Amino acid sequence: MQFKDQIDFIRQHMKRNKLRVATTILAATMGCAFLIVLASVGFGLHQTITDDVLDNNMVTQIEVAGKSDGEAEIPPADIPDAELQQIKEMAHVIAVVERNKPEAETEIVIGNRSTYSQVVLSSMEEEQKAGFALSEGKMPTKAEEVVVGYHMAERLLTEAEMEKEANGEEVDGFAGSLIGQTVEVELTPFTAEGGEAVESSTWEFVVTGVAKEPAKDWMTDAGIYADSSWGPIFNEEMGLEKGYENILVYADELQNVGGITDALKEDEYYVYSVTEELGTMNVFFTALKAGLIFVGTIAVLIASIGIFNTMTMAVTERTREIGVMKAIGAQPKLIRKLFLMESAAIGLIGTALAVAISYGISILANWLVPIIILSSLGEEDAGGISIVISTIPWQLVVIASAISIGVAMVSGWRPARKATQIDIIQALRQEM
Amino acid sequence: MIKIKDLQHHFKIGKKGNERHVPVLKGVTLEVGKGEIVAILGKSGSGKSTLLHILAGFMSPETGSVMVNGQETAALKESEQASFRLENFGFIFQNFQLMPGLSAFENIELPLKIKGMAEAERKMKVQKLLEKVGLEEVASHYPNELSGGQQQRVSIARALITDAPIILADEPTGSLDSETEKEILLLIQSLNKKLGLTFVIITHDEEVAAVADRQYHLHDGELVKGEQRHAV
Repeated sequence: MQFKDQIDFIRQHMKRNKLRVATTILAATMGCAFLIVLASVGFGLHQTITDDVLDNNMVTQIEVAGKSDGEAEIPPADIPDAELQQIKEMAHVIAVVERNKPEAETEIVIGNRSTYSQVVLSSMEEEQKAGFALSEGKMPTKAEEVVVGYHMAERLLTEAEMEKEANGEEVDGFAGSLIGQTVEVELTPFTAEGGEAVESSTWEFVVTGVAKEPAKDWMTDAGIYADSSWGPIFNEEMGLEKGYENILVYADELQNVGGITDALKEDEYYVYSVTEELGTMNVFFTALKAGLIFVGTIAVLIASIGIFNTMTMAVTERTREIGVMKAIGAQPKLIRKLFLMESAAIGLIGTALAVAISYGISILANWLVPIIILSSLGEEDAGGISIVISTIPWQLVVIASAISIGVAMVSGWRPARKATQIDIIQALRQEM
Repeated sequence: MIKIKDLQHHFKIGKKGNERHVPVLKGVTLEVGKGEIVAILGKSGSGKSTLLHILAGFMSPETGSVMVNGQETAALKESEQASFRLENFGFIFQNFQLMPGLSAFENIELPLKIKGMAEAERKMKVQKLLEKVGLEEVASHYPNELSGGQQQRVSIARALITDAPIILADEPTGSLDSETEKEILLLIQSLNKKLGLTFVIITHDEEVAAVADRQYHLHDGELVKGEQRHAV
């Protein structure tokens, strides 16, 4: 029998039992929709958390916290330049930034305004390659030139303003542009509690640029970025040990971060990247999603009882017709195929409807649930976090469809087998 | 064309453990040539339907053999028997055995669909046959909209549509009135003459058996030769 004729054949049979087939499809739809919607919550929460992690991190940044030489740990500051050069030459690495912070309290002074801050010593050339951007001005070209953080101006306060701020009043800070301003950087080495007081040292720098505003509203950047050549000078002047160094490796794209992280790990580096954080999270959410799919599958299995019942009744009702078909030359495998196709069709139609309904529910949930959550918390927005309650990726549709149609076919298997075993003589004796 | 040799069969009667074996066919031997009409007459329970069922491959004989067109039918697997039936046999049943959800046209078309014939070709074939058996006007009617005679004509057309050389008819006029019975018997005779088809008719009715070239009586499981053909 040609495939088109097989389709026609099952279509005719389904039409003859419209109500029963429709209720069975409804059960299959509800089972599959439950599975998709339930699992979509797992996918949605995973997306919300992942987006939040990615939003709060430089996603292409890999932090190198040191290295193991097999016996002892090598701190970042002691990693030889040759090895850092090897990292720079790795595929997909666009920059390796060494940031050093002097072991000293840092006060920034412009005229009668001052603030406590942190000097970040780094190679401006590498910073630029890594994507360090300015909101105004230009990158330093001389050693005496610096870039200040985006929030530096508003943190520079007079003594009167400091008092006002301490009293909870709002203060504006430095008005106007910091570009071209000379800033005094006063460094006072940290001392142990009760230790001998040490003298501070002051250096002057000219501000050439202001760093770009941090991506998140709650982030504050009031640092001062100077060339790394100042590190040895500060240390010598104040008798400091080499400060803590932070090595940051930047990949060209997020998708290459994992590969670079793995390669560095193989070379015994202690590394941390967003893929590490996501990796741990992914394990948890994969387990959660698998669990939700499992629970949802139970609903599909319950629906399959309906399909089994419908197909068993169909075989019983059509015993005489099956007998006639076998008598006039239909192969048993054709009979089995027709019944399996009918149960698969019920599963297929149910799944198609379920997918459409699930997308509708998902859209509705993503609109309604955040409103309910925020109103119950008395907030107007979620602090920049986009709350996604439900996501239906194509993989979920594929998994749910495979489960739903598969279960429908398995449900139809026994009735289909029963149909092939119908005795022609007994079937022909049945009354119409 | 058909060679039945020393066919024996019995039925088990009674509950398990206390069964009785009742012989139905006791060494039936019969040969049917191409283009012949052979009638098997017998009372109810005489075993004539069992003989037809074994001949059609619906059941296997305990002993003996059935050769159809040189093929030992009992040696075929279930799926092979289905194909063999499709190629070699057309069936006419007492209760017509039409599909209630299919129109007359679709009922006649069904064996060709099972055979996998292309739509255009089979539609043309069915149309031609409908004209031949005088059913053009009721082609779109469903079985419950047809008279007994029309239903049996559809059943005959369905048996003929695959060009099978042998038609097995089980009480072909058993559900019809005498007028319609005559019509159907004339149709059978005409198809036999025009198309050279072989008919094996199972009946309890002497009138029906009268269209046959040869008649046999099944009596207590044994086949006895009867009268020759005379006009309907």
